[in-house]
Parts: sequence; C-alpha cells; structure tokens
Amino acid sequence: MRRFVFTLLSILISFILQTTVFRVIDFSGIVPNLMIILTASYAFMRGDKSGMVIGMFCGILIDIFFGSYLGFYALIYMYIGFIVGKFNKIFFPENILLPLALIVSSDFLFGFTCYVLLFMFRNKFDIGYYMLNVIIPEAVYTALVAIFIYPVLIKINMYLEDIEQRSAKKFV
Amino acid sequence: MSPVIKRGGDKFTLPSKYLLFILTILCVGLIVVTFNTDVFNSSVNSFAGTVVVPFQKGITSVGVWMKGTADNLASIRALQKENENLRKQVEQLTIENTNLEQDKYELTNLRELYELDAQYSDYKKIGARIIAKDAGNWYHSFVINKGTDEGVQVDMNVIAGGGLVGRVTDVGPDWAKVQTIIADNSSVSGTVLSASENLIATGNLELYNEGQITFSKLVDEADKVSVGDKVVTSNISDKYLPGILIGYVSTIEEDSNNLTKSGKITPVVQFEYMNEVLVIMELKSTGDK
Repeated sequence: MRRFVFTLLSILISFILQTTVFRVIDFSGIVPNLMIILTASYAFMRGDKSGMVIGMFCGILIDIFFGSYLGFYALIYMYIGFIVGKFNKIFFPENILLPLALIVSSDFLFGFTCYVLLFMFRNKFDIGYYMLNVIIPEAVYTALVAIFIYPVLIKINMYLEDIEQRSAKKFV
Repeated sequence: MSPVIKRGGDKFTLPSKYLLFILTILCVGLIVVTFNTDVFNSSVNSFAGTVVVPFQKGITSVGVWMKGTADNLASIRALQKENENLRKQVEQLTIENTNLEQDKYELTNLRELYELDAQYSDYKKIGARIIAKDAGNWYHSFVINKGTDEGVQVDMNVIAGGGLVGRVTDVGPDWAKVQTIIADNSSVSGTVLSASENLIATGNLELYNEGQITFSKLVDEADKVSVGDKVVTSNISDKYLPGILIGYVSTIEEDSNNLTKSGKITPVVQFEYMNEVLVIMELKSTGDK
C-alpha cells in the first residue's frame, strides 16, 4: 500500500514537473523524458510486472493530456517497462552505470518508436534530422537528469523495502 | 545469471507474459475505442482536471513569476544600452512615420477592399494561461487553464498577439488542450490576401527551429503571390474562422507539376515565448447543424 502510494506520487510529481518546470528550462525546445526515467528505473528495480504497470500508467497520463488516442503512449511505455524489467535479474543498488545505460537506451528506443509510428508513416523519411534534433538531444538530456533522479529513486526503494522487511518480520 | 536464479524466476515469468498480453489487448482496445468514439473523454478528462491540473496551474504561475524576476535582474544592463539605441531609432522612425502616414490612406482603401475591418475584433474572446506544454518533443500542443466550465468547446480557435495559434482539440472541466499550427500533425487552410488564392499551411518539425511552417497546394498561375504577402485563414476551412492572420510568406517555389506552388510561411505568433492566449468563443458554422 505504502509502495503504491509512493509510486503513484512520484509518477504524478514527475509528470507535473515535466510539463511545467522542465518546459521553462528546456534546451532549444527539448525537454528530458522524466516518464522514461521513472518507468525504466522502477522496472529495473522491481521487475517486469511492476515495470509494465508503471509504464502503462505513465503512458496513460501522457495520453490523457497530449495524445490523440488513449493507449498509444501507454503501449510504448508498457513495452519499455517490460523489456527493462527483464534486466531486474542483474540489479544491484550500488551500480549506477548499467541503469543509466538502460535509461538512455530506453529513451532512444522510445524516440525511435515515436519517429517510426508518428513520422515515418506520414512519409517523413529524413531520419538524420530527427535523430540529431530530437532523439539524441532528448536522450542526452534525459541521461543528465537521470544521474540526479535515479539515486533518489533507489533511496526511496531501499527505504520501502526496509519497512516491508521489518513489518514482515513482526508477523513471522 | 546462474541457472538457479533462472529456475527461481521461471515460476513468476509466466504470469508476467500473460499480464503483458492482457495489457496489450487493453491498450489496443483503448486505441480502437478512442479512435472511433469519445466515450471516455468526459470521465477521464474530469479525473485529470481534479488530480493534475491544479498542480500544473500552481507550478506554472510560480515558474512564470520566478522567470520574470530573474529576467528582470538580468535585463537592467541590457535595457540601458537598448535605451540609447532606441533613442536613435526614434529619430529615424519619426521620419519614416511621416512617410507611413501617407501610406495609411492607401491602406484604408485596401482594407475596405478586403473587408478586413470586421476582422476578429467582433468575436467574443476569453483570455487563458498556458499551464503545461507537451510532455514529448515531437508535437507541440499545450494545456490552458480554461475548460467547459468557462464555455470552451472542442474546435474553438485560439489566437495570441494578433495571430492564429491553433485550435482546441480536447477539453475538460477546467482545462483544454490546444493543438498549435506549428505542430507537425496540423494543417490549416489559408488564403493569400493579395491574390485571394487558397493554400494549405502545415506545421513541420524540421522547420520548427527556424520558426517557420510550410505551405503547399497554392494555385497561382498569374504569379501574383510574392514573398511578404499576408496569409490568413480561408473561408473554406471547416475548423478555423475566416480572416485570422497566420503569417507572412517567406519563400515560394514552383512544384514539379508546374501547377501548384509550395514554400514557407513565417507565423506572426512567437510560439516559444507564449504565456497567455485568447480563445475565440465562437465555432465555425459548417452548415451541418
């Protein structure tokens, strides 16, 4: 229950931040993708099932506000959560390089999927331009922000696990 | 990845595959349903209105205030220098003004010709503040703080600084989503004023950094359209009210079919620095109802 509330809060907070604060401090119109950071890190920390559900929730939130159809971004985020969740087997809290690499590659994957589904299907084939001006800057900026956000998420996760273990001991 | 861990994991991976399958079907179902109908709109939008929008409103106003103060401090020095330059400019402009005064007579005549007098000053408008911008970097829509409570409806036109910004595509109780004309997925039917020829203005992500949009399908056999001509929304558009200024033609090229022309338009609205917009509270009547 506690875990659910924390996760929901963190998703809502980062969605609000992404659409307001980060829009003001963007670099040439590019904002970091906080929702990808959340989806990838939670999936990495907790496994594919959580990753899927969290990704789907993040996506639905974006769909409600900015998507044309409900479920489009939800689907993309959900699959990213599922794939990253597969790496949960090699998860160590101390390691930060691997999760960063995962976050960057999932943002890259997200950007590429968006390009293919939203642009290439409308005969916009200049992939070089979109790579250089949208996908790569977004991935770099996301990585920068993730360096600060990921440790916080790890701390919260450890704290939650601590509490859960303690309460589990009480009952056993 | 020792086999032990794998075996332990296998007990749980099977359900996760099913879960993925079920959720995928759910998402695809949602896409199909929202593509064809709008049953979820009211309930989902009011959920968003109560949970997320209040925070976005608060944070945006704080952010705007903070940015304003920071800009103020930074700009004092720049302002002094600017002031000096501006004074010189004033002298020059006074001279130009006299020339323009003469042109004004001409302009009045032309206005009557185009009947632009009744432009969009007649429409009832309400002001709205932008409280959130698109979460991704692909399209450029934003959310404003007025919704159905204030009478905003889907397809109402949004203007700022005298030019067209876009139209409302989604609306909740106290918020509305606006699709901008510079977004890659938007098209507007426009008219070149000087030649009364119609064209299609389309947003383009590749031109976004230059601050321009493309136009196409301009039929101009007499070569009447030239760079700098005004482009306004056309009469035949079914979403946009006629006569709203879109921008000025910046380049023209002949298409390979030798029948139509295409090129670029510089919009009058500065989308990067937009904080407040006006919503025109009138829908284009298409004759359907």
